[in-house]
Amino acid sequence: MNQNLETIKIQSEQEISAVKNLEEIEIIRIKYLGRNGILNDFFSAITNEEKKQYGSDFSLVKGLISLSIVEKKLELSNTQTKNIKKETKNITSLPKIGHLHPITQTERQLNEVFRKLGFSVYNSPEIVTDKFNFARLNVPVEHPARDMQDSIYIKEPEYLLRTQTSTIEAYLLAQKNKDLPLRTAFAGSVYRNEKVNRSNHFVFHQYQAVVVDKNITIKDLIGTMDLMFKTLYGSKVVVRYRAKYYPEVQPGVGPDMQCFNCHGKGCPLCKYAGWIEMGGSGMIHPKVLEMAGIDTKIWSGFAFGMGLDRWTMAQKNIKDIRTLMGGNLAYKPNEL
Amino acid sequence: MKLILSELQKFIPDFKKKPEQLRDDLTMIGHFTNFFEEIDGEIVFDLDIKVNRGDCLGYYGLARDLSVFYNIPLQNLSSTIDNLKSNYSLPIQINTSNVKRVMAVKICHLKNSSSPKWIQTFLKCHGLKSINTLVDITNYIMLLYGIPNHAFDTSKSTDKLIWEMNSKFKEFVSLDGSKLILDNKILMINNPNKTLSLSFWGGEACAIDLNTTDTIIELAIYDRTTVRQNSRQLKAVTEASIRLEKDLDPELIPTAFNHLTNLILKNCGGQISSEIFDYYPDKQEIPAIEFDSQKPSLISGIDIPKDFTIDCLTRLDCQINNNLITPPSLRKDITIEADLIEEVIRFWGYQKIPIHQPLTFKKVTDITPKEIYLIENIKDKLVQLGYDEVLTWPLVTTPINKKTVVKTQNSINSEAIYLRQSLVPSLIQQLDQYNRFKLPNPQFFEIGKVFFQEGDKYIEKNALGIYNHNLDQLRRDVLQNVSNNDTKIIFNNNFAEIILDDLEKPNEYIPKQHQNTAIELTSQIVTLDANITLDYKEDPIKLIEKYSQIIGSKNLWKLIITDIYQDSKTNKYRYTFQASYFNLDAKTAKSIHLKAFDLI
Repeated sequence: MNQNLETIKIQSEQEISAVKNLEEIEIIRIKYLGRNGILNDFFSAITNEEKKQYGSDFSLVKGLISLSIVEKKLELSNTQTKNIKKETKNITSLPKIGHLHPITQTERQLNEVFRKLGFSVYNSPEIVTDKFNFARLNVPVEHPARDMQDSIYIKEPEYLLRTQTSTIEAYLLAQKNKDLPLRTAFAGSVYRNEKVNRSNHFVFHQYQAVVVDKNITIKDLIGTMDLMFKTLYGSKVVVRYRAKYYPEVQPGVGPDMQCFNCHGKGCPLCKYAGWIEMGGSGMIHPKVLEMAGIDTKIWSGFAFGMGLDRWTMAQKNIKDIRTLMGGNLAYKPNEL
Repeated sequence: MKLILSELQKFIPDFKKKPEQLRDDLTMIGHFTNFFEEIDGEIVFDLDIKVNRGDCLGYYGLARDLSVFYNIPLQNLSSTIDNLKSNYSLPIQINTSNVKRVMAVKICHLKNSSSPKWIQTFLKCHGLKSINTLVDITNYIMLLYGIPNHAFDTSKSTDKLIWEMNSKFKEFVSLDGSKLILDNKILMINNPNKTLSLSFWGGEACAIDLNTTDTIIELAIYDRTTVRQNSRQLKAVTEASIRLEKDLDPELIPTAFNHLTNLILKNCGGQISSEIFDYYPDKQEIPAIEFDSQKPSLISGIDIPKDFTIDCLTRLDCQINNNLITPPSLRKDITIEADLIEEVIRFWGYQKIPIHQPLTFKKVTDITPKEIYLIENIKDKLVQLGYDEVLTWPLVTTPINKKTVVKTQNSINSEAIYLRQSLVPSLIQQLDQYNRFKLPNPQFFEIGKVFFQEGDKYIEKNALGIYNHNLDQLRRDVLQNVSNNDTKIIFNNNFAEIILDDLEKPNEYIPKQHQNTAIELTSQIVTLDANITLDYKEDPIKLIEKYSQIIGSKNLWKLIITDIYQDSKTNKYRYTFQASYFNLDAKTAKSIHLKAFDLI
């Protein structure tokens, strides 16, 4: 091969390999293969005899340079796409965000209301004794109120899974009877021996607030409950408070919310009552306080509780209670 | 409990309110009334009666409440029985202390027939079938006074009725033909040769029929615990058992008994053929309750005049002797001062208590257990890292360690009888579910109790279970945010579990508030690709936002750009999108997708 052609070939290879982008390779292409490029200049400058002698070498070098340029273009093209992809992968989706379970969200929302009123949060075991689940709440053995709750027993009749958050109240009063006054709120899982279906579950969630202090009144109870309902449902919510029986309170107070579906006219959702029962409450029964060793001549208190599941389902448009504790509850990975 | 307006008005004839008003008033004084409806021309209310108000499982008790509330007189519908000429003493034996009171009488030469229309309508409104006049009258009286009663055909039962705890009979056949197996804990009415009735359910052996001419009718109240246990044991619940399980008033028996007897004589004819049998061995004195008339005001928080308080208690038929109040025998639920306070407040009206005066802030000792601060803190950290919180069943199908597992005794969910010992199996199921829904790259956690048994002790611990499809990331997240002591963490494939009780706890923590969406998945996530070509380079985030808006958030789960390519020949940019849709079938998702990306 002609020495000059060999030099051109080596030089072009060096330059092509050093190229970093498609713009530069185009310049190289023009430099070597263009009409006034190095190869054409070389070919124009030699004699006809030399053209015959080096013609095939010329064609070979031209071909090799062309091939190198194409390969380089391909490489650069891929690299640039990859670069864009790499860049894109970091920005092509909105950041993944985590989520609290809706029950926890509601629980925190309520805790925040009560924290601002000076309430602590509390908890107690889920495997409990009959004494704390029933007897300490003024529900002795064979009391008909026990029929209101089908219990899941661990060791009948002594040990069972707590059927209500009032059980936490019973532990609280027993454990903190020397720390009066008390302002406490708590959420908890509770268990009933129910078949699991679209409407019922053996485990669900309740929220309860308990206050023990001097001169506590039903007005305090109703006002505080109303504050809670307005926090959850908005300031326009209509709630009525009426007489209701629970063995652990006396007098008992039942909050009913005007049905949000029919606005009090009556519909299948509210069983044509126009109102939806929202839980139970009342002044803590004197016997409950006395069983906890609290002097009812000095102290009184109120307690109220409500279920969290139905409210949460309504808020999140969840139709099946099983969803709350099943694999089909999911969260969008980012805010769209 | 059903309540027919016209029947109620027989007790309180001065009641003139509209049904809507009665519904609301009943509810406000504690008898939640779902609705009222018209049945055969009658206005019928549907009520929930409180479990401590056995007296209100009859019209009489409800009418008494309403007469106090509306301050109108209560009519006595019963009258004494005339023509008590027989000196035949019924050979009834009461051989058990579980009978509180029984009244009985024999009526002969009656003529039974199908019931008059008014009783049929009455029973229909209560969801009961009409049988014949005699039987229907017994049911009518039960619903009127809340006290069950029974009529025996003496041609089948004989007059020798024996109340006893069963000792010799193995089987009982009820009025509807059900065969029940007996043991010696069952309170029965027998004759010397056969079983006749349970305390709460009549028997086939002495059933009243249209040929019945001679009958013994009886009203009785028993030890309610015995009835409750018998009903549970025999798995038989009747209108009678529902009432007899409550604390009923033996003093009301004569009123109901007289009404029953006179009604039978009026509708079936016949004549009284025995002396009235009245067994009432242990008449209870009603203890007086010390009562401070200021208490209704002090407890309610509003001023309730003393005059109202005294007037209210008087209308309730309480005997008032200075500060000692003796409630009426009918009101078994009034035993302490708080019960009297409730009576006064509910008749004064809960609606008069202001609703806008909550407790205000007061500094009291913080008794929050420190583990709650720890749990809340960890939850916030994990959410910050992009993990989702889930809740799974605390009851599981399979124990991990049979020696320490806590087993339930009576769970009706046969597939879940053990309390979980680890969160991981439940989280594996959760992942399995997510995979079935084709949820892309889930990462989630649960904080919940795990349970163990050691000897006679039940132990509960707070545990964190966590999953990430990227194991390295999982390790980093847990070690950097939960505990840097990896000996306390169990890594199991892409899951980790740690007992939180062993960790150091913060002295306080204020949890963050979150309000995020949650989706109830009803079908698989559908993921589809689409390319768009632009003449210019665009910020991918802007493109995602643009197409998110076009698609709409209702069914869009996720939208990402997976590729950007610049065509060297045309210099155009090609953006490859991947869109995931939820709660849509594939066809609908595709239709939305094609339309959104203009691919039709």
